[in-house]
Amino acid sequence: MSWIKEGELNLIEKISANVLKAGPMPKHVAFIMDGNRRFARRNNIERQEGHTQGFNKLAETLRWCKHLSIPEVTVYAFSIENFKRTKDEVDGLMELARQKFERLLEERDNLEKHGVCIRVLGDLNMLPHDLQQLIAKAVITTKSHNKCFLNVCFAYTSRYEITNAVREMAWGVEQGLIKSSDVSEPLLSECLYSNNSPNPDLLIRTSGEVRLSDFLLWQTSHSCLVFQSVLWPEYSFWNLCEAVLQYQLSHKSIQKARDLHREHQASLQLEADRVCVAEHLQHHGNGKPADVQRRQEALQHYTTCRQERVQDFLKALKHKRDSYFTDLCSDGVQA
Amino acid sequence: MALMCGMLWRLLLVLVHVNRALVSWLRVRLRSWKGRMWERAVAALLLPVALVGFPDHQKKLNTVRNTGANANTLPASGTSTHRSRCLSDGRSLEKLPVHIGLLVAEEEPSYSDIANLVVWCVAVGISYVSVYDNHGIFRKNNSRLLEEIERRQQKFLGGDGSKHNVEFLSNGTDKHHNVVSCRPTVKVLSPEDGKQSIVQAAQQLCRSVESKERSSKDISVTMLDILLRESKNIPDPELVVKFGSVNSTLGFLPWHIRLTEFISLPSHRNLSYEDLLGALQRYSACQQRLGQ
Repeated sequence: MSWIKEGELNLIEKISANVLKAGPMPKHVAFIMDGNRRFARRNNIERQEGHTQGFNKLAETLRWCKHLSIPEVTVYAFSIENFKRTKDEVDGLMELARQKFERLLEERDNLEKHGVCIRVLGDLNMLPHDLQQLIAKAVITTKSHNKCFLNVCFAYTSRYEITNAVREMAWGVEQGLIKSSDVSEPLLSECLYSNNSPNPDLLIRTSGEVRLSDFLLWQTSHSCLVFQSVLWPEYSFWNLCEAVLQYQLSHKSIQKARDLHREHQASLQLEADRVCVAEHLQHHGNGKPADVQRRQEALQHYTTCRQERVQDFLKALKHKRDSYFTDLCSDGVQA
Repeated sequence: MALMCGMLWRLLLVLVHVNRALVSWLRVRLRSWKGRMWERAVAALLLPVALVGFPDHQKKLNTVRNTGANANTLPASGTSTHRSRCLSDGRSLEKLPVHIGLLVAEEEPSYSDIANLVVWCVAVGISYVSVYDNHGIFRKNNSRLLEEIERRQQKFLGGDGSKHNVEFLSNGTDKHHNVVSCRPTVKVLSPEDGKQSIVQAAQQLCRSVESKERSSKDISVTMLDILLRESKNIPDPELVVKFGSVNSTLGFLPWHIRLTEFISLPSHRNLSYEDLLGALQRYSACQQRLGQ
């Protein structure tokens, strides 16, 4: 089974898609594809077969998303916690991933035609080396595509991702690129694995579980969460439509909450800058109280400097991450 | 074509809204019907003659139904029996959350309804109750909510209230809480306890890196978790009950809701004890595999 499933929707599906598209559509949908094993058990098939069918469903879902003009999809493929499963199952999942990423490289022309960019979020170091190289190759080949985006969370948990972001910021501090006072909510967001994507508008979890299981905790704090009872391999176009409809119903209130949050964040940043400037003036102001104008100028100057610092740090971070992938790739060539 | 689709979409939304309104209306009707059933049952109990022919199972059924109506009206007498009923309800559940989060995702929260909910949660045997709304309204009117809770509790517990008094945590730096206590704790949360507290922990770690106390490589999930736990003083919530039609966590403690079960109820207004118990029953049926 390939990554891209061709084919049009049937007439009724097309009409429903157009009706839905008349409302606000999510730009980014995240999936917790739960229920592959339960599906296998229920249908008396091998567990591995359940996982394979789950992958096929992903290809189908991507097609539906394309028809619904949803440009970005993030999926939870493998959690760090999943390493706790039996060796047999973990090996099977790794083998599946190996096959699929090899397949992806074979399909690169087709991916280019559709403009699909694939990113892998997670700590690749936890994976077998050959899989790391395959993933790096896949990511680099599809890097410049910009029509649709598929983020695969592999060896991922959200807490790990947040911790990693903190680690990166601490690295920036170590390198003298930023100060600890520059650490802020937007900066932390920029240091996450998902820094290239907007936050998901809609998160869907299948199989009736009603928790996030350490998936995109930071990014989904203002997303619409939809829990559906269908098992992932049985997911249908209509399930997706229902979830989108739920999003449309919550859309206004969520947008409001987002705006409120953004305002609050801006005021926090301003306050933090003020504090830093006040400290600075106290140290270098010869004890004289600064007048309002000088304060204002100093604040502006400080804000510009901080933004420059942060930009330089983010550039360095991006470079570090890119070279991790290119190194992995060139390793593969030499080997 | 586009216009047609737009109209159809609007129609669809209207239909869904009508459907929702109908469901919540039915819910209220059903409850008042149950309330009347209870009145009838009481009337029946008052007449000893009627008691003779009363089938056993039906009596039991009525007691279960009573709970909702009883809790709603909070009768002045017989409160201690009510409390013991709550406790036995709590014990009859297979598992009970240690920490429950009440997430109000509605405009204009009702203090009295939330206070009722908190009191019921405590009565059932939940040790930590946190209340959250994304506007920070409860945080701003912290004292008003806590007064309301205290008042409800007095009313609810009657004479022996002193023993089960709740403890309030208004901010994380409350050190006196470190004294081990078995009293239930109520905490009012706002968006600042969410991402902002993670940012503060990150700043703290970065400062220690700045002063060369620590290397960036040492930072781990457990380290961050300990820092965040210290500032909150409470365990991760196992259950969050969300009130309102918006399906979102609206910034509720992102770090702490890793394994939290979310149960959604349409509104916290006029919520009955039975509704809460229903949510707890649903929670007690949930199983977690923890990645396996």
